[in-house]
Amino acid sequence: MRKIRCIGIVDDDPITVFGIRKMLNQVVECECIEAYKNGKIAYEALNKKFLDNEDIPQVLFLDINMPIMDGWQFLEEFLKLPIKKRIRINIVTSSIDPFDKKKWEFYKNKTHHLITFNNKPINKQDIAEITKVA
Amino acid sequence: MLLGPQIRSTSYLIKQLPTLTVFIDCEFRIIHASDKWLFTFGENSNAIFGRNLFEIFPDLSIKWQTVLKECFNGKSNPMGVQKFRDTFQKEKWYEWSNNCWYDEAENIVGAIIQIIDVTEAIENELELEKIKLQLKQQSEISKTGRWEYNIINDTVEWCEITKAIHEVNQDYVPKLDTSIQFYKEGYSRNAISMAIFEAQEKGTPWSLKLQIITASGKEKWILAAGKPIYEKRNLIGFTGTFQDIDEQVLANIEIKKSEKLLRTLIDNLPLNVYVKDTNSKKVLVNKAECLYLGSKNESELLGKDNFDIYDYETAKKFTEQDIKVMSSLEPILGEEVVSLNKKGVETTVLTSKIPLLDERGKANGLIGISVDITNIKQKEKELRNLIDVTSLQNKKLINFAHIVSHNLRSHTANFSMLLDFLQHEEDEEEKTKLLGMLNCASGSLLETIENLNEVLAINTNVNLEKKVINLHDKVNNVAQNLEEFITENNAHIINNIFEDRTLKVIPQYLDSILINFITNGIKYKHPNRQPKISLDLLQKENQSVLIIEDNGLGIDLKKYGNKLFGMYKTFHSHENARGMGLYITKNQIEAMGGKVEVESKVGVGTTFKIFFNEEN
Repeated sequence: MRKIRCIGIVDDDPITVFGIRKMLNQVVECECIEAYKNGKIAYEALNKKFLDNEDIPQVLFLDINMPIMDGWQFLEEFLKLPIKKRIRINIVTSSIDPFDKKKWEFYKNKTHHLITFNNKPINKQDIAEITKVA
Repeated sequence: MLLGPQIRSTSYLIKQLPTLTVFIDCEFRIIHASDKWLFTFGENSNAIFGRNLFEIFPDLSIKWQTVLKECFNGKSNPMGVQKFRDTFQKEKWYEWSNNCWYDEAENIVGAIIQIIDVTEAIENELELEKIKLQLKQQSEISKTGRWEYNIINDTVEWCEITKAIHEVNQDYVPKLDTSIQFYKEGYSRNAISMAIFEAQEKGTPWSLKLQIITASGKEKWILAAGKPIYEKRNLIGFTGTFQDIDEQVLANIEIKKSEKLLRTLIDNLPLNVYVKDTNSKKVLVNKAECLYLGSKNESELLGKDNFDIYDYETAKKFTEQDIKVMSSLEPILGEEVVSLNKKGVETTVLTSKIPLLDERGKANGLIGISVDITNIKQKEKELRNLIDVTSLQNKKLINFAHIVSHNLRSHTANFSMLLDFLQHEEDEEEKTKLLGMLNCASGSLLETIENLNEVLAINTNVNLEKKVINLHDKVNNVAQNLEEFITENNAHIINNIFEDRTLKVIPQYLDSILINFITNGIKYKHPNRQPKISLDLLQKENQSVLIIEDNGLGIDLKKYGNKLFGMYKTFHSHENARGMGLYITKNQIEAMGGKVEVESKVGVGTTFKIFFNEEN
């Protein structure tokens, strides 16, 4: 089984968090899977990790529609952090709004991190496919 | 040849004759001549005596020899007029005549020729001919003939022209009654009869524009003028002129016809038409222009300039336009202008101004044509508003569709995921956990559907009617219902709305709006101060604006501005925030035809402005 040290899930829906976590356990070996309830919490936690020189998740699962700070606002701030390591950010959303696709294109071309766009529902095979070190 | 003293005495007598006289014998030889004759013809010497007359005057007509020969036979005839240059080289006309010259025995011995200077008479005659010719030409050109009626002989005389006007032959002999019968029956004939009668009775002359029917049956306009002639106070006849004015009258009639046509045209055009002089004063206005300017008739507008009609600024603008058109000679075509009249009524017109040029190509005024498009403009505005509303609604609808699809998709995604887990799960404990989660997901789905229904109801419920409510009381009412929540948070509600202030709204929506803004203001209070929410009502350009101001946390509008009123958007970490309140509120405000604006400063507070539309 593929080994990934650290994975982050940014989603306000506990069921989605539960689902992703469950599927991850079946497809990869992972030391820690952390979940953040919204963009703001996620950004603050990751920023702290970066400043404290702690391990930053290699793969992030990111929801878009979240209270307080949504997925795009999170990306806006997170991409500003001077993280050298290439991180894989998998957007997982139920949105089919073309506007969200456009925003994805925009951020994808803006950064050295890998950003993918995935529509819900998402299954085990999909998770296995997108849970790799970038 | 006579000899002796008698002869001499005769010769002497002849010599002194005051006339131009010459005696010739039957051989045309000059025997005697008066001194005057000699002098006149420059023959001062006696050398001519005995010489042939025709030798001395070689220009004399040979015919005269025959005439003279007849005279020698006892039949004297006039000879005629001869042109001659006198000693001063002046052209002279002489009439020659002859008489038989008898001796004592009554024998014809020759002819006595008398010569009369007729130069003056000839010249007069020539002048007269000339004048006659001129008169004839003049009357031919002006088509004016003469006529005369002699009462005593009961004769009528027409000149050539008069006859030509009547289209009769030159040998036609008119009579008084036939002359009158040429006049067209009815007005013309009556008028001329009356005129002659009046002239006869009172001696008044006449000059009338009448119609005749010519001999060939043509109708003609003529100017008949006449006056009575008196001799020793007795009326002896009439004389006058007769002028063919058919062309002028017909031309006049044509002009009047085209004038009438033009007038009818401009009066019935659905356009405002006017003509202005160089001082921007109106010299012509049509009915539409009168109507547009609220005048009963054109005389109220003629002679008025822009400043008499319009408000100062409008008049200034129009006068500048007039000057520009008349000085540049460039027309203004279809320009849209807003005009304000003296009564304060504003209209929008499409105006065209075209310079009027005189013969030298300079502007001596302008023609204005304008259309009042105020109604069209109004319609256009309404239409544009409708388009705006429609496109806004369309946008909202798409937005709503996305919300629905997203929210339902996220739940169904959870369902399919959980069901998939459940299918492959062996562990009973895990199965129970999954079932619990499914239950939870179903609950959220239900709630989502309820929320969506609520929004749909606002946007589709057209049965709710606007009613007039007292806003001051309504605010107090809402505050009373929220009393528990308000006291719990030690909040202070300040109702600054006048006690008698009313508003036409959908009461249910107003309740919901007030509850939402007040509870929001308290919910997101600043931790360091007592929450205060004040409510004011302002009047802004015929629109009532409710202002709700709090001293809460405030919100960063740069970050969240476009999402503030979005569905499921929450901005503060508050356990009760479900992201529905402002979304519903905004929908309710818009359902009433109003709008909402927000101002906020983080740490200071937030102000919401709700614009009401009180029309149905």
